[in-house]
Amino acid sequence: MRPDVHPIDDIQAALDGAGDQLPESDIPPHTPLLEVRGLGKRYGGVVALQGISATVNSGEVTCVLGDNGAGKSTLIKILSGVVSFDQGQYFVAGKRVKFSSPRQALDRGIATVFQDLAIVPLMSIWRNFFLGSEPTRGVWPLRRLDVEQAQDITVAELARFGLDVQDPHQPVGTLSGGERQCVAIARAVYFGARVLILDEPTASLGVKQAGMVLRHVVQARERGLGVIFITHNPRHAYPVGDRFILLNHGAMVANVTREDIDLDDLTQLMSGGADLDELAHEVEDPPHR
Amino acid sequence: MTAATSARGVPLTPGRSPLVRALSRPELGSVIGAVIIAAFFATQTAEFASSAGIANVLDVTATLGIMAVAVALLMIGGEFDLSAGVLTASTGLVTALLVDQLGVNIWEGIAWSLLFALAVGFLNGILVTRTRLPSFIVTLGTFLALQGINVGVTKHLTDTVQVGGVDEAQGYGAARAVFASTATIGDGQFRVAILWWIGVAVVATLLLIRTKFGNWIFASGGAPTSARSVGVPVGRTKILLFMTTATAAWLVGTISVVRLTSVQANVGLGEEFNYIIAAVIGGCLLTGGAGSAIGASIGALIYGMTQQGIVFAQWDTDWFPLFLGGMLLAAVLINTVVVRRRAEDSPG
Amino acid sequence: MGRGAWLALTAAIALILCGCTAGSRSEDSAGPVVESSRATETPTATPLGDPDRLLTFAVVTHGTAGDSFWDVVKTGAEDAGAADNIEIDYQADPEPGGQAQLIDAATSSQVDGLIVSMPDPDALQESIARAEAAGIPVVTIDAGEERSAEFGALTHVGQSAASVGEGAGVRLREAGVTKLLCVIHEAGNVSLEERCQGAALGLGANPSGGDVEDVMHTMRVNASNIAVTETTIASELRTDPEIDGVLTLNPAVADAAAAAIEAAGSAAMLATFDLNADVFQSIRNGQILFAVDQQQYLQGYLPVVFLALYARNGNVVGGGQPVPTGPRYITVENVDSVEDLASNGTR
Repeated sequence: MRPDVHPIDDIQAALDGAGDQLPESDIPPHTPLLEVRGLGKRYGGVVALQGISATVNSGEVTCVLGDNGAGKSTLIKILSGVVSFDQGQYFVAGKRVKFSSPRQALDRGIATVFQDLAIVPLMSIWRNFFLGSEPTRGVWPLRRLDVEQAQDITVAELARFGLDVQDPHQPVGTLSGGERQCVAIARAVYFGARVLILDEPTASLGVKQAGMVLRHVVQARERGLGVIFITHNPRHAYPVGDRFILLNHGAMVANVTREDIDLDDLTQLMSGGADLDELAHEVEDPPHR
Repeated sequence: MTAATSARGVPLTPGRSPLVRALSRPELGSVIGAVIIAAFFATQTAEFASSAGIANVLDVTATLGIMAVAVALLMIGGEFDLSAGVLTASTGLVTALLVDQLGVNIWEGIAWSLLFALAVGFLNGILVTRTRLPSFIVTLGTFLALQGINVGVTKHLTDTVQVGGVDEAQGYGAARAVFASTATIGDGQFRVAILWWIGVAVVATLLLIRTKFGNWIFASGGAPTSARSVGVPVGRTKILLFMTTATAAWLVGTISVVRLTSVQANVGLGEEFNYIIAAVIGGCLLTGGAGSAIGASIGALIYGMTQQGIVFAQWDTDWFPLFLGGMLLAAVLINTVVVRRRAEDSPG
Repeated sequence: MGRGAWLALTAAIALILCGCTAGSRSEDSAGPVVESSRATETPTATPLGDPDRLLTFAVVTHGTAGDSFWDVVKTGAEDAGAADNIEIDYQADPEPGGQAQLIDAATSSQVDGLIVSMPDPDALQESIARAEAAGIPVVTIDAGEERSAEFGALTHVGQSAASVGEGAGVRLREAGVTKLLCVIHEAGNVSLEERCQGAALGLGANPSGGDVEDVMHTMRVNASNIAVTETTIASELRTDPEIDGVLTLNPAVADAAAAAIEAAGSAAMLATFDLNADVFQSIRNGQILFAVDQQQYLQGYLPVVFLALYARNGNVVGGGQPVPTGPRYITVENVDSVEDLASNGTR
């Protein structure tokens, strides 16, 4: 079972190329963008997460895999500053941190794209892109949106992710699911994200749309970001991931690099072998889906 | 669904031909409606298209339009204000009582009345944002409270339910020039309130589409959770919107009290629904997130043209609410279709 | 629209009131039986002849809060109560259903007398009968003169809307009015419609109603928005230049009509019902020909006195004949004598 039989062939191609091009010097030596050691969280008496240790480097995609309830969402919430942790340590660029709000995480360059994407469907692409951080010109009371600049930047930034926006006034609600993800990712990257946390970005998407999102993940990595890609689908994780963290019942059951594992093993590891046959059948037979 | 491919540089999901784009303008339906109504009454009655007829239509439209624009901003921001109608009476009463009872200069009365309005707007806003209760209920409470205060305080201070004598106040002449003067064009007397209305509509339009705050209004009404998570101060935006509606109520109350020189404690009741009706006819979405100040102004114009047109046509004025109801329903249906076209046909 | 929505609001409030009265009614669930037996033993349950007893009278009208007319009625009732050591409980609800509930509530609290305006007699019939069955004497005021005696009221204080309207119509005809615009400020208020119909008769319309349209045109306005009312009246005057007289039924609308006549350049003569400071001013400077003063202060004051006399001394004024309180016509000749009193809230 070779990973490149994945339906999104061009992704795999892009991936292979990108992996070759990534120069060693772009990864800061010995200082990961983000590192956690022995991270844990309890809700009352319930252990939601314990003993999580991981690093995220520049130009690397770290996939966090696990079934529902494995602790994925608790981990993102901690990393993005939505909730605090009560065990372990959290370092950003070598500095120990404890966030009390998402804003603080954002200020340290950790941007999270949640499943609702934080977009307003009725508003246009460029307004969504700059929502909350609108560029203005002039002085009060004549201070106004710099509409041309905002539109130009929106078009340019989305073009870097391969989207050709001809009408930046188009409401985001008319875009496809993958395109919306792209707007959210491009926005996070433009506003200075160094670590991009993507919460199940492919969960509700069809194959083509999911492929599109995976391409954006690769593009973000190409631009030197550290990406944390949360998913429950190993077939989405494997083509883009450099490192795979498996969670189960709040504990880390594996932390492996791409070299150490192939898709079959990853799938088996994740499912615990229980429904392996069914999954293997799915993986072997993708064109019929 | 078919349009998005994973090749580089492909256009976005299309589906927005120029025609579709025009059809998704929120005010389009109201513009068409306004043209039809104007054409109808202009051909059916001699007075409608005369200078005097236009002056009368615009007179009704102007004060309604000022309120409809402010209420439209609030509705785009996702909230209602049922206290806006009765607040037009409250602000007039504050001015009239200060002038009549304490003999202050009318400008001083108008200034205090503005402060009062801002306080009511702030109270509405803080109650809605802090309690997270529907603004419908919160402002219904303010509405009833103001209604009681209007009658109770007026009765207590004057022994009647009407306050007059505004025209005897110091500075009345200047106030009349600013708020209630008229210009005669042909045989029509055009009120200065028309200029206020146009001014308010222009400022509100620029605010909505050309400022950061305007962006926040759309986002606060369209998807408050998303807006919050990208740093939009949704609560502050809504409080400011309630204060905007209150300021508009102050403007209309002042225009009215200066023009009529007296104010009765029970006026303004039920007017808040006319503001909402005008805003909805003008393309405002009841659920927030979409609408325009221009549309609300056109909604007010439709209201004014129909209301006066029925008089010019010598029809029984009892039928006016029927027409209004029909237009309201048509507008709501059109708005819903337009929004579906804008946001809900999304593939994937 | 505006009014309809407002009605919906008041209906919601009436629902709340309904909850309260329903509660008090169920508390008294055994009450009607006991009280009706008491009523059979002593037809007049209130003991007569004790001049020192503290009496409580309920006044239930269909006025809205802040309505200048009903405000004066309320003042009249309270003044009479204060002068005669009587506690007055004034309640009002413009909706007949709500008014009926207020009457039921007064009956439940066993007041010594009930003063009711009856714009919609049928809706109030049951509640009034219940009050009378509980031995509470009833005086009707303002609207409802035709049915007052039938409902067993002691007497009626007020003037029938039709006859007052006719009187105004006659005066307008004498002043030379040939086509009248009658402005109704509350859609569906029967007594306002009757005033306009009466005015048409006074102007010389055939009582069968066939030629009412020749001498009178009625229009509805929204008294909540005086500025729009003014514009609407001006539009009407422009559209129909034959109109040479305007009759308004509310002083605030009269102010609007005076401004509208000026704005439209019309020569129409203006008359109104009821008074306020601006109406006095307009009478003095000739903009208003006359105002029909219903002297509604008496509609509040007299019933209290009548009920007190009945409770303490068994008197029935006029043997139960309706007692007219007006009309008194305020014109430029007598305006000065009345004006000062209006600012007291008694005219």
